[in-house]
Amino acid sequence: MEAIAPKPHKELVKTVQLEGQVLLKIIQHCTEALPQNVTGQLLGLDVGQQLEVTDCFAFPATVADDDSEAESAGANYQLEMMRCLREVNVDNNTVGWYQSANMGTFQTVELIETFINYHENIKKCVCIIYDPQRSSRGSIALKAIRLKESFIELSKEQKLTLKGFREANLSWRDIFVELPIRIRNSNLVQALVADLMPAPTATQADVERLNLSSAPFLERNIQSLLECVDDIVAEQQKVTMYHKNVARQQQAYAVWLAKRRQENQQRQADNQEPLPEEDPNLFKPIPEPSMLDNYLVTNQIATYCDQVNVAAGETIQKLFLMEGMQKAGL
Amino acid sequence: MSTVLLPSGSSVSVKVHPVVLFAICDAYTRRKEHQDRVIGTLLGVVVDNTIEVKNCYVVPHNESSDQVMVDVVHHKTMFELHQKVAPHEVIVGWFATGSELYNSDALIQEFYSKESQHPVHMVVDTTLRDEKFNISAYTSRTLALGDKQLATEFVEIPCETIFGDVERVGADLMLTGLNDPSPDAKKDSSSKSLTDDAETLQASMARLAELVGRAAEYVEAVNSGKVTGDPAIGRYLADTLALVPHLARPDFERLFNESVQDNMMVTFLSDLLRAHVALAERLGTAALPIM
Repeated sequence: MEAIAPKPHKELVKTVQLEGQVLLKIIQHCTEALPQNVTGQLLGLDVGQQLEVTDCFAFPATVADDDSEAESAGANYQLEMMRCLREVNVDNNTVGWYQSANMGTFQTVELIETFINYHENIKKCVCIIYDPQRSSRGSIALKAIRLKESFIELSKEQKLTLKGFREANLSWRDIFVELPIRIRNSNLVQALVADLMPAPTATQADVERLNLSSAPFLERNIQSLLECVDDIVAEQQKVTMYHKNVARQQQAYAVWLAKRRQENQQRQADNQEPLPEEDPNLFKPIPEPSMLDNYLVTNQIATYCDQVNVAAGETIQKLFLMEGMQKAGL
Repeated sequence: MSTVLLPSGSSVSVKVHPVVLFAICDAYTRRKEHQDRVIGTLLGVVVDNTIEVKNCYVVPHNESSDQVMVDVVHHKTMFELHQKVAPHEVIVGWFATGSELYNSDALIQEFYSKESQHPVHMVVDTTLRDEKFNISAYTSRTLALGDKQLATEFVEIPCETIFGDVERVGADLMLTGLNDPSPDAKKDSSSKSLTDDAETLQASMARLAELVGRAAEYVEAVNSGKVTGDPAIGRYLADTLALVPHLARPDFERLFNESVQDNMMVTFLSDLLRAHVALAERLGTAALPIM
């Protein structure tokens, strides 16, 4: 990536800077909507390689999302909100969106579609994923992601097949790029924070962080992991089916070709015009299955694995701390 | 006729979520040139005598010495938009920045009286007078003689900031790097706290140790007669100590080993799967090779 000198108009986003109020708004919105997953829009500015998110607003929960009426209502809502915010000098420049995801489940086809939709208009758009359930374990689960450019190009060319991926030299790791997040507050807000914060005592977050029981969390993660493995096996079956179908077709074609050649020899002997050796109506090429689902599931597996490892590692740390305390106490 | 008193009297209190204060500060920094203060609508829920302020938005306004213009259309549109996202939140009052009450406040209060039954007026001191971030809330009382209204009196009511459990997580994050004003330090610590779980665990442990230390100190002081003990604190301490499970050594060891093994196994499983995925990638197949 460093080798390619970034031209000014093709600069990529390297970091995301969140304003404190955006963080709190996202947290509030996502937590209150539990167990529903919600989304909202991020507003801000892009400054070179940094995307500054300065404000955001929530989208109303969709009641009927395939209804075209609801869709236009959503668009109206967005326009109205942007207009109102512009009146009070908020940066009204869409830079992406945020969404809540439970247990890190976010790598879906819908997300990719939304990304590609956004990308049409906004070259530098990011998605902020907030996980309310993981955050309730004491450490904030916030992620900023965007799609890799080469992946976007590939999907625009409709080449999301195994061959396409291999030609572009992309693996499942190359779909999303995670961006580092920084929190920034204006000086005034810092004064507010300093004033609001009491002397450092143990907070609720500490209590949750020190909680020893991680079994339910791990259990849910492993359950999701199992589902993912099932999915990937199903995806694999699709690929196998495809290969089988292709092989069968080729066989049938070979038989047909031999027959046609024989016929043509016969016709040649009878001084007749030979028939064409290709019949496109009979043997249409079977479309290669998209590898997107497969790659997304793989991504999801990687996320779950990370979560499991981190959670289990943490629990082990805590257990050893417990042991130390117990030994000291006895 | 006497003065019209609020039915609930002075027992009303206001609880503000920090997100509202953040938004107000942001709005203040984004005010128009030559504008002294910003005002806006507060949204929230009313439970008994507590008003929980959960959200807010700015309303453009214009004020001169004796008259004030509030953009009613803007206010209405924003309210409708907010209603779509959170239908349970209603208008509970309005906010203004500044260190004191203005003359025009009565007029604005009158406007909001039409929107909400008992609007609260929250003043956020963004000028940091006395080097303090003052947040105060008022409710109004109309002074009337017969049918004639004479004046509006603002009565201060208690106001506090509350943190939801999860908001605390976010608030903790804001604190990182606060004591170190250099921008580099801020960069480091904020990015670290997003990722490093071991470090936050360490911090939590340190805080816990400090609290236990403080409790021990207090007990020590009471025992040696330096401080007269507070029975309430004593009872809390006793309750807490009673909660600590007393395990015999073999029992503890069994529990400890079981838990460690469980976790190890889970880690092993996830690593196995990860190895599978990596292997599949290397082999260029979509299948998990050993399954």
